[in-house]
Amino acid sequence: MDAYKKSRVKSIICWVIAFALAIFYLVVSFLPFIFMVLNSFKEKFEMLTVGVFELPQSLNFANYQEVLTGGFGKYFMNSVIVLAISLILLLFIASCASYPLARFQFKLANPIYAGIVACMSIPVHITLIPVFKMSQATGLYDSIWALIGPYVAFAVPISVFILTSFMKEIPREIEESAEIDGCGKIKMFFSMILPLSKPGLATLAIYNGVNMWNEFSFAYTLTQSSENRTLPLAIWEFQGQYSMNTPMIMAVLTLTLLPMIIMFIIFQDKLVKGMTAGAVKG
Amino acid sequence: MKKRMKRLAAFSMAVLMAASMAACGGSGGGSSDGGSSSGGSSSGDDKEIVYWNIGTESPDKDIVTAAVEKFNSETESGYTVTSVPTQNDSYKEKLVVAMSSGECPDMYSCWSGGPMYEYIDSGFGQPIDDLFNNSEIKDKLMESAIGQATYNDHIYAVPYQNVSMSGIFYNKEMFEKYGLEEPATLADLENICATLKENGITPFALANSSKWTGSMYFMNLAARYGGLEPFQNAVAGTGSFTDECFIQAGEKIQEWVNAGYFPDGVNSLSEDDGQAKQLMYQETAGMLLCGSWYTGTFSTDSEEFYQKIGWFPFPAIEGSEADPSIMIGTVGDQFIVFNCEGEKLEAAFECAEAHLSDEVIDLGVESGKIPPVNGIEEKLTDPITIEVVEAANNASEIQLWYDQYLPPAVSNAHLDGLQEVFGLTMTPQEAQESMQQAMEEYNAQKAE
Amino acid sequence: MKEKSTSLLVIRQRNTRKVAALFLAPVTILMVIYIFYPIVDTFITSTYQWNGISADRKFIGIQNWITLLQDKSFWIAFKNNLIIMVLSIVIQIPLGLALATFLDFGGKKLTVFKVIWFIPLLMSSVAIGFLFTYALATNGGIVSTISGWFGGGNIDLLGNPKTALLTVIAVICWQFTPFYMVYFMAAFTNIPYDVFEAARIDGATRGQYFWKIALPLLVPSMKSAAILSMVGSLKYFDLIYVMTGGGPGTSTELMATYMYKESFSNFNMGYGSAVAGGMFILISMIALITMKLINGKKEA
Repeated sequence: MDAYKKSRVKSIICWVIAFALAIFYLVVSFLPFIFMVLNSFKEKFEMLTVGVFELPQSLNFANYQEVLTGGFGKYFMNSVIVLAISLILLLFIASCASYPLARFQFKLANPIYAGIVACMSIPVHITLIPVFKMSQATGLYDSIWALIGPYVAFAVPISVFILTSFMKEIPREIEESAEIDGCGKIKMFFSMILPLSKPGLATLAIYNGVNMWNEFSFAYTLTQSSENRTLPLAIWEFQGQYSMNTPMIMAVLTLTLLPMIIMFIIFQDKLVKGMTAGAVKG
Repeated sequence: MKKRMKRLAAFSMAVLMAASMAACGGSGGGSSDGGSSSGGSSSGDDKEIVYWNIGTESPDKDIVTAAVEKFNSETESGYTVTSVPTQNDSYKEKLVVAMSSGECPDMYSCWSGGPMYEYIDSGFGQPIDDLFNNSEIKDKLMESAIGQATYNDHIYAVPYQNVSMSGIFYNKEMFEKYGLEEPATLADLENICATLKENGITPFALANSSKWTGSMYFMNLAARYGGLEPFQNAVAGTGSFTDECFIQAGEKIQEWVNAGYFPDGVNSLSEDDGQAKQLMYQETAGMLLCGSWYTGTFSTDSEEFYQKIGWFPFPAIEGSEADPSIMIGTVGDQFIVFNCEGEKLEAAFECAEAHLSDEVIDLGVESGKIPPVNGIEEKLTDPITIEVVEAANNASEIQLWYDQYLPPAVSNAHLDGLQEVFGLTMTPQEAQESMQQAMEEYNAQKAE
Repeated sequence: MKEKSTSLLVIRQRNTRKVAALFLAPVTILMVIYIFYPIVDTFITSTYQWNGISADRKFIGIQNWITLLQDKSFWIAFKNNLIIMVLSIVIQIPLGLALATFLDFGGKKLTVFKVIWFIPLLMSSVAIGFLFTYALATNGGIVSTISGWFGGGNIDLLGNPKTALLTVIAVICWQFTPFYMVYFMAAFTNIPYDVFEAARIDGATRGQYFWKIALPLLVPSMKSAAILSMVGSLKYFDLIYVMTGGGPGTSTELMATYMYKESFSNFNMGYGSAVAGGMFILISMIALITMKLINGKKEA
């Protein structure tokens, strides 16, 4: 009884400390976001005179109004289309590639895996010129379709790497029992491995989704007309040679960020679902 | 659930195949593409002129748009110009990527100096002497503007945007309060600094994480100590960047750093994020040495604050033989360079001329610009801009910013070294030696 | 019986190879087009003296590579990358794991924490760069203000070559820790629930469960996370470029920023390509050797 009480007290103390630290980290994570939102409501002169970390004098929605009346809607749609197609393609290609690398035993598995890891280490900027040439040659230049190829290709190595290590952790018994039931490799992939990799896929979707959503270099080099721009390029309109309208840029960035937060709230649920699915089976 | 998965898989497969087919075609064509086409990034329509510029934000955007619209509506050439405004930050990168694939736009706006020479040397700029000499803009443009558009004795570009001279902006109220006057000599300026410092005010607002901002101080000091000859000789390879005037300039800067004439953490403040003007707006700093485009920056941020601002050119140094009328700055700021030939070039040139038409010039003046044309002072009403133009007109010589004028590798050596001079982590001698070394390497490579 | 099973094995192996080829085909096509071709192109370009835009370029063999080996700036950049790498691994992974563990123990009630902790990863580098240049400003920034409360003076973090790199690393960690948090959360869900249940029935406390059961099961994920962090920090670019541009001096110069400057602003595309090639070789070597080492240990 005493020992139980002791461990209870200890556990409560642990939780209190953990919570204190958690809340501290919460503040650290959240404050910059708050400041971004606050500054998006300020006027340019106001932001610089009162300081970046002061409250805005009034909730001035003019910045948002101006951003939304510009090309924002078009950029937003472009970003959504590019993101949706690239992400679906990426997850499909990456899971296809990870499956044999994680679950099969064949001679080439290790060299291919090593090759993919090496691909992770290519600096993106050096590929701009070759990719630009390709887009010109295929006539994809200055269209959002030009972005999908590089977005998928440069996300594939890291995705395969993560997903392979994930699939390796799936217990082999599951596969063996299915094999005894006469389940083929391809069917196994779609009916067993893919559903079980959902937490891994969700991680990838979140991570790569964010990267693609914020991607600048390719979007910048591969498009030129304003109707083909994606969201990260929307800040241009407020950034001149010698001055930038920072509050307006903060408004653009806030509007760019919100869909990502919403997407995360939806997807993080998938992470939890993976867990409960396991619980039911157990 | 399973069904949905399958459908998804089938769909993805289809998209993938389409994408990979397109991409395969690309890799084949890409490698054979030798960089011969000069049609620009146009969609194959040869009556279209693609024009890249950095007019993404007003007023630059309005000026370019007005000029292009004027051309498109009035021209009899049969060509139309498509303007492609592009963000300034990565503009040079975008040009390099396009040019390296031989897809340079038909005309593009850029800065004068090292990079522009590099474009021209690589065949992406056409000389426009004949067109220019037969055009009325020949007499219209300021001579110094034409000078900055000239390379190897040929005219390659049309300057159009702004006359920007470096000079010192100051808070008039603050000067009045402490009984200060515009300085005539460097000693006067240093007295002002001392007075401001005593009263708890940072003399100079400077955000030097951007590096080129600190170069403003260096260029002016060096020009006042030794004139422009040492610089020109150093570039030509007959002199050296370790010349006395450069060392003196660096030493003066360090003296000022030690005296606390610059803000704390000067190398961490960012010009792009507005941390220099912030000090002015909060009235914790009294002066700011920068390009005269700051008139526009101040007045669009706050007309009220702009009323408090005065301007004077960098003062002379007593005992120095250098001509104190020399100015550092750009006469044009943006220069249109052409990458097309024949009729197309004529049409493109016509569009460039439209940038200097009276109505577009008026628009520029209205938005606080100083278009580089003769007699512009008569159109100006703003007292500071008039002072700037007068200083430019009276200048015996105008030196383009080092960081634009010099070959980029040398310019970066200069900026990096100077930033360390500001941070007191390098002596002026060391910084100048590294700049000199970069210059020598560049000259050696050129000579090959 | 035995005979039958061997032939079955052969058939199965052949089948395996076929299926593997089918599954690996799309990724191979994509890699060849978008990654192998640029890599080859980079290595070819690195043998030229070329400004990047001119039609004629001069073949100079391995001259650029010799310069690279003797280039102090490159090795300083590499050293900076190594510092980022080590500190990233040491800070981000344990911190990410701690956050994930907290969320895993707490369950659904803590969703708010999860979402907010994740926000830094969602923000664009432009916004982060802007806010932190103000937050870290010597005069009036957060750090200087706190130092003022304790009677200290202004602290110049980003402008001081000694602290600039560490400061940027702190911001990088702030940005990427949430990724490792999500990564480990997903790894936690891979641990079957009955393992946890069994441990609880045996009377293990949560602490015991974490240290004795969960942690060993998470080791493979931690290894992959370390590789990811390693590769990521060795080719890092964004935030440094936005916040310091490599300065002051060369104190925050990285291989990627150096490569970018040489290629796109100094008109040294040939040399820039050599830097990129050097980066590629160094990073893949480090990653592959590390992988060999940590996986070798597992088998022993």
